[in-house]
Amino acid sequence: MSKSLEIEICGVKFNNPIITASGTFGYGIEYARFIDLNKLGGVSVKGISLNETTGNKMPRIMETNAGMLNAIGLQNVGVEKFIKEKLPLLKKYDTRIIVNFWGKSIEEYVEVARILDETDIDMLEMNISCPNIKEGGIAFGTDPKMTYSVVYETKKVIKNKPLIVKLSPNVTDIKLFGKVAQEAGADAISAINTLLGMAINIETKKPYISNITGGLSGPAIKPVAIRMVYELYKTVSIPIIGIGGIMNYKDVVEFYLAGASAVQIGTANFVNPEISIKIVTELEDYLKSKKVDKITDLTGKVIA
Amino acid sequence: MKGKVVNNLMLNDKYYLMEIESEDFVNKAKPGHFMMVKAQQYDYLYDPLLRRPFGVCDIERGRFKILYVLIGKGTNLLSQIKTGSQIEFSEPLGNTFKFNNEKTVALVGGGVGIAPLLFLAKYLHNQDVLVDLYYGGKTEDDILLIDEFKKYCQHIEVTTENGKVGKKGIVTSPLSENIKKYEKIYACGPKRMLQATSTLAINHNIPIEVSLDERMACGMGACLGCLVYVKNDQGEIEQKRCCVEGPVFDGARIVWE
Repeated sequence: MSKSLEIEICGVKFNNPIITASGTFGYGIEYARFIDLNKLGGVSVKGISLNETTGNKMPRIMETNAGMLNAIGLQNVGVEKFIKEKLPLLKKYDTRIIVNFWGKSIEEYVEVARILDETDIDMLEMNISCPNIKEGGIAFGTDPKMTYSVVYETKKVIKNKPLIVKLSPNVTDIKLFGKVAQEAGADAISAINTLLGMAINIETKKPYISNITGGLSGPAIKPVAIRMVYELYKTVSIPIIGIGGIMNYKDVVEFYLAGASAVQIGTANFVNPEISIKIVTELEDYLKSKKVDKITDLTGKVIA
Repeated sequence: MKGKVVNNLMLNDKYYLMEIESEDFVNKAKPGHFMMVKAQQYDYLYDPLLRRPFGVCDIERGRFKILYVLIGKGTNLLSQIKTGSQIEFSEPLGNTFKFNNEKTVALVGGGVGIAPLLFLAKYLHNQDVLVDLYYGGKTEDDILLIDEFKKYCQHIEVTTENGKVGKKGIVTSPLSENIKKYEKIYACGPKRMLQATSTLAINHNIPIEVSLDERMACGMGACLGCLVYVKNDQGEIEQKRCCVEGPVFDGARIVWE
């Protein structure tokens, strides 16, 4: 692997900037049978909470035009089981481990972060933006005061790891939330989570998803995500991890030009489990052909 | 994985049978397995986005078959793929049907759910198992591949709701008349049919395995979009992923609603 793709975010070194996005890659190990996890820059594991949660009722997913809706509902095994059963398996691979986490209250966010901070993961990613659960999740990500409080209180107990705050696109002005997260102590931002959407079956007149609404992801949301990363880049001074509909290396370059310092690949993993690794290779070739020494040279270089 | 489409046969206005060449896939596939198939021929097309799950319908000499029904964008695109084209698909996924030296079994299928039962019938026939098929459809268009099934089945009972082919009615009627002769039942088809067949099997204390078809995004256990609820040994309800712990489940343990 060439040095052109190596990056460093908040002191954590990644072999490349391609990270698999939370909620689309399980606990990482589900994909180990299909791809070489060592080739990924990082893995952001499924949103972990204090206690095991069973998620929403079925049906939970529906394909839409160039995208999909999901309302899984942050189903996960809980932090203790994750640390005991899942993390050791993922630690066998040479890839950075980011643990996405969430809570139903500030106290729960703080407690999960405190527990995870003592493990040998690389970074924490606070999820204040899941649109699919009633308590917590998006409520913290769409009210600037709550965003400040949850980031500030959680940051106080984190001693060992950088904290990424994953922002919701379901707000009028994402710049405000980027600014608030930074002021409250976030070390980095990831943007965006899914957009709240809905699809209705015209035969039955019922929504396709039992939760009625779901989070829209996939190529359909990429222009929204690019715009938001661009706006955030002009607002905050901490690194931004771009997420939203990335399907190939061109999309990655676009996110970089808008202001990203790394990217996460989400729904594309469902379409093709090998896609993240393919993007790494393609990106390397692109940089070579454009005579770009380091991918970070592209961050925020859109000419606007 | 990639393979060459060697046949994409229109069976009637609704159904197609695609034959794909892939030695690698065939060597790994067992009855019950499914795969995720990419419907688009071009990498830059993202609509439809997700791959489509299909049961392995048959394998033979380095080729496998998938049976599909035209229902949306994905299957319509699949129907347009020309012979000789390359197609992308996953390796065989999920669990498989289980066997316990049963000598007489019934296969129960409905509509496109008949697909994995052909591969199963062939396998069981080759193990000297006596196989009967109960095959239900709404209309005559839903009754497919009968000549293929005849090669492996002792007795075939067809039902249609309009009665134009086979007996008029639903497939559980003829099954219930003969059910006592079977040591095991395997079923795949619409949920209501699977539920009714499972109830029959439970009432007669006959083991039943059903292959379920749930909406899937990844097909490899990551997205948690295809959950099935089943009862464990203690009678507690557990969540199982159709794509990893399934698609084949013990019909007596499924919580249908």
